[in-house]
Amino acid sequence: MAQPLTTASVPTDIYGGDEVSALVLDAGYCQTRAGFAGEDVPKSVLPSFYGSIKDTNAASGSRNVFGEDYIFARPDFEVKNYMSRTESVVEDWDTAVQVWESMLLDRLQPERRQTQPSKNGLNDGADGEGDVSMEDAAASAENAENAEKPLAESPLLMTEAPWNQGKAREKAIEIAMENWGCPAFWLSRTPVCAAFAAGKASALVVDVGGANTSVTAVHDGMILKRSIQKSHVGGIWLSNQIRSMFDSNDPKIEVRPSYMIESKVPVDAGAPSQAILRKLNYELHPSFRAYEDERLLTEYKESVVEVWRGPGRYSNPGNEELVKTQPGRIFEMPDGSNQMWREQRFRVSEGMWDETAQLPTASEEERITKAQTVPELIRACLNAVDVDLRPNLLGNIVVTGGTSLLNGFNDRLNNELMAMYPGMRVKLHAAGLTTERRFGAWIGGSILASLGTFHQMWISKKEYEENGAGIVEKRCK
Amino acid sequence: MSGQQGKWKEEQVLVICPGSQTTLAQLGCNELTLPSHRLPTRMFKDPDTDDYLPYHTYKRKKATAAANGGGDAAKPEDDDEFEYVEDRDSSEGAIYPIQKGRIVNMSAFLAFLDHVHQLLTTSYHNTPIVLMASPQWTRGDNEIIARFIFEKTKTPALCLMHSAFAAQYGLKWLNMTVVDIGYEKMDVSCVWDSNLVAHKSLDYFTPDLEAGGNVLTKQLHRLLKDKGFTLDMCEQLKKSPLAEVLPYVATAKNCMELPDEDVAAEASAQFAVEAPKINEPTIAASSTAVDGENGIDDKVADEGVLDVANIVTSGNTREFLAKKEKEKAERAKAKHRKAQEAEAAANRPARLPNAKRKTSLFHYEETVHEDVQVPLSNGAPKTETVAPPATNGDGAAAAEPTPKLEGDAAAAPAPPAPTAETVTDVLPFAPEATSSVTERRTKRIRKDIEVGLERFLFVDREYIDQIARLIYSTVQSIPELSKRPDCWNNIVFVGNGSRLRGLKENVLQTLISRYLISPSTATMFTSELPSNMATPTGTGSQTPTGSTSGSLPLGQMPLPTTSSVNPLLQAATTASLGVPGTATADAHASHQSHAQTPTSIKMAQLPNYLQDWSKAGYEEAHFLGALVAGRLVYCVHPGNDMADAQRLSSLSRVDYNEHGPKAIRKHCLMP
Repeated sequence: MAQPLTTASVPTDIYGGDEVSALVLDAGYCQTRAGFAGEDVPKSVLPSFYGSIKDTNAASGSRNVFGEDYIFARPDFEVKNYMSRTESVVEDWDTAVQVWESMLLDRLQPERRQTQPSKNGLNDGADGEGDVSMEDAAASAENAENAEKPLAESPLLMTEAPWNQGKAREKAIEIAMENWGCPAFWLSRTPVCAAFAAGKASALVVDVGGANTSVTAVHDGMILKRSIQKSHVGGIWLSNQIRSMFDSNDPKIEVRPSYMIESKVPVDAGAPSQAILRKLNYELHPSFRAYEDERLLTEYKESVVEVWRGPGRYSNPGNEELVKTQPGRIFEMPDGSNQMWREQRFRVSEGMWDETAQLPTASEEERITKAQTVPELIRACLNAVDVDLRPNLLGNIVVTGGTSLLNGFNDRLNNELMAMYPGMRVKLHAAGLTTERRFGAWIGGSILASLGTFHQMWISKKEYEENGAGIVEKRCK
Repeated sequence: MSGQQGKWKEEQVLVICPGSQTTLAQLGCNELTLPSHRLPTRMFKDPDTDDYLPYHTYKRKKATAAANGGGDAAKPEDDDEFEYVEDRDSSEGAIYPIQKGRIVNMSAFLAFLDHVHQLLTTSYHNTPIVLMASPQWTRGDNEIIARFIFEKTKTPALCLMHSAFAAQYGLKWLNMTVVDIGYEKMDVSCVWDSNLVAHKSLDYFTPDLEAGGNVLTKQLHRLLKDKGFTLDMCEQLKKSPLAEVLPYVATAKNCMELPDEDVAAEASAQFAVEAPKINEPTIAASSTAVDGENGIDDKVADEGVLDVANIVTSGNTREFLAKKEKEKAERAKAKHRKAQEAEAAANRPARLPNAKRKTSLFHYEETVHEDVQVPLSNGAPKTETVAPPATNGDGAAAAEPTPKLEGDAAAAPAPPAPTAETVTDVLPFAPEATSSVTERRTKRIRKDIEVGLERFLFVDREYIDQIARLIYSTVQSIPELSKRPDCWNNIVFVGNGSRLRGLKENVLQTLISRYLISPSTATMFTSELPSNMATPTGTGSQTPTGSTSGSLPLGQMPLPTTSSVNPLLQAATTASLGVPGTATADAHASHQSHAQTPTSIKMAQLPNYLQDWSKAGYEEAHFLGALVAGRLVYCVHPGNDMADAQRLSSLSRVDYNEHGPKAIRKHCLMP
């Protein structure tokens, strides 16, 4: 029994934050993250995709379910997203509130009053199923005057995309203050948070996320508005490139997500699949199929796709020949068919850097221009800031976002920047831990909200009541 | 402050593992035994006050006329005409504070904790507590619990432990995937290097996705409703060895091969002939209590044991019971399980195994409670259950919550100690007792019912798929790819929902046939093998052979089945193959092994050095882990480097006084 005590007992809040029971909410197009300030990972991470089940009983004809566990093959089921694909800002506010409430109020449940009858479970014992967040929230909204609000003791820090509009910002503070009764609120831009997560107040933040890639200059904890650059070169764009590659492959590769497979049989590389397919006796909504495809492509991206590290472009003569002589990587589809990928796995990601190398896309909007490639975004961003700031920014480049985890991404970025800015000191900061890269903005928010010195920054409920929702524009610059 | 935390005796550590149905508890972690106490996790509202009571209590008119003097004296009396009766077995009006892992009724849960604490502890100030927490408990819950424990009890220290870690401590693997199938919920947690790296669950937050063992009981009930099965019967059938999950066959309808018609018919014919015999081994196994008939008629009240749930006393069984009483509750349970196995074993050689038979005989044991009323008694209350201390003097004494009896009572839902069975063979209903005393009787009636294929069909594919899907998506959601293989190779099923025969195997087969990445032929005999491996030569000496080839007959090549992965091929497909010749300064990327998972899926090997546990199964491994943790946290003297870790794994009263309930966030064994 000489088992040592494990790292499990090491405290989770490594940042030594002060004791504030603040909540941090970070909504992106692919995931929504929520957790307690001062912790190093968000406690609750849900996809921003949610399920909508046709339900004749519900007033709207359908009801929404949140969480990945719900997204599996079932009839009358549609997968939707409450965020905007192009902007990564909230599109469907009604659902956004539902998603956030299911995370903040139900899953985290920072406050539990034994005395409050609607919360202590005494009243919902009858049906045995427990209360559903939406009803709860609706109920609490109804008796807004008398009942205590669900987050009356928890300040809330939310992140937002740097290009978020004033209306949306006011809406956010309204929900926090009116619906949830937060005592304090703050809106912070994702690049600022990501910079904080890397321990910097000034940085050039390169955020390569799911739907978007953005490059923003942060100076002394403030974003430089004119420097914001954004393009849709992100995880989903890359998935579409992979689809395009699969289509042009010979033989054409069919994407069959695992929900279609009952069991698979090992087959030779390149041989057609012999899997036994599942028989579903109902129609599936195309959105579900698209979501499942995306899951599969994510696995492909994780295990096969690689970025040509440079120096120079992949299309430079000799590079492809070199790669062809190297060992490739095998990917087995859920249906058992498998194939070796060599040069293709470099080619598919090359479009991020070199618009001429991108594969044909389904629609014109998907195509990227030269200005939308990652190096050009950085160049445009730097050109929009004061010349004096540029050396400092180049020396403090923070790379964050899930898609930046592609193998070789940082090497390539480094090589591109060295070529673009010869003689300048270029230094990349990318967290080594996968979670820190994926949840960079959330972690920064967590640090910020737990700082004792941040107390004076919060917009308090009183200020909100005096000035109205407009205060967020004045304070959270 | 580390010196502050004195060391406690192992006998003094209180270990509590709450579940939504049953709570396992024990005082002392000096021996890694099976849990000594199984308590139903429920409380009852006091009808008069707002307090909670551990048992269903009701008021009734005193049966003065029927009672003899001795009984009267011992009875709890509060007024002249009424008495309060604790009904140990009734679940009427029960409040289950934990539902689907979540604490839905905190005040009832705290009252329950208090009840457990009072029931088990003898001295208060030196009994530290290890409390297992479900992943569904929120930070706020933990703080309330910590506060309650420190303010309402004299507990010196509290160690709150995550259930996945508890299972891990019990099974001692550093990296593992814990699949916890409970009553109505299911958790999958991936532990890597003792950190929780991924967790998903079907629980309170997914209200319309049903998970856990109870789904199966309902499913069985749906199938057998027409044959007159009650939910209780279904529950028993589910727990019996007859109900099982057939092996996964991808090609078959519903992915299982049901017993063939002919074979089944033959079997049942054979079966019918031998039917009478079938009970004999059981009766033998359940030892002396064969004297059913006179037992029923016997009206002589026995000692205190009478009050223990579901035990009918008879003159002849008295010594047996007295002896039995001394044995621990879990011993009795284990014995019963053995008896069941013996029964199964006795049945087996004679005819086909259960899985091959179309029909099978199910011995349903029913506990019948009846009020036998005598004209004298003026209004004994009509409730469905158990033995009030009406006529016997010791009954009231037995109502004191003594741990041992409690254990028995708690074990009742599973057919309890095989001690005093009144076996009435093959009768649809037992003859009503001929007794003429006003007394509540509990007796066990045995019915033999033929069950068809429903006993296999009730586990539908949806259920298995749900489990397999959750395991897959959880392990694959571990952010670091390099951690996934370890978690795939150590899958452990815990929770009593996974006890169902064949379930684990079927889930594993499903996972393998659906998700396993088999070694590809694309790398075979080509230059793509990693350079650090020898290329196979024609001599055969280095020809890659599967790890299973040793067990194959000579000359037979190992078949490329999914389970026997050729290690060389596996290395070739999974090794992290960097591209040489390019810039290698990828400090960021080098930590990722860049490959697809799972290339092998295995269940973790279970420890075999604990005999009791090996026999009973490791479904309750989290309790074992909590015992181990109790020792590590409270009793073992840590080395210098571990002192801090030990201090942070439990919250002492000193720390509590200094930091308040919030300290539980840091001082715990939670992720």
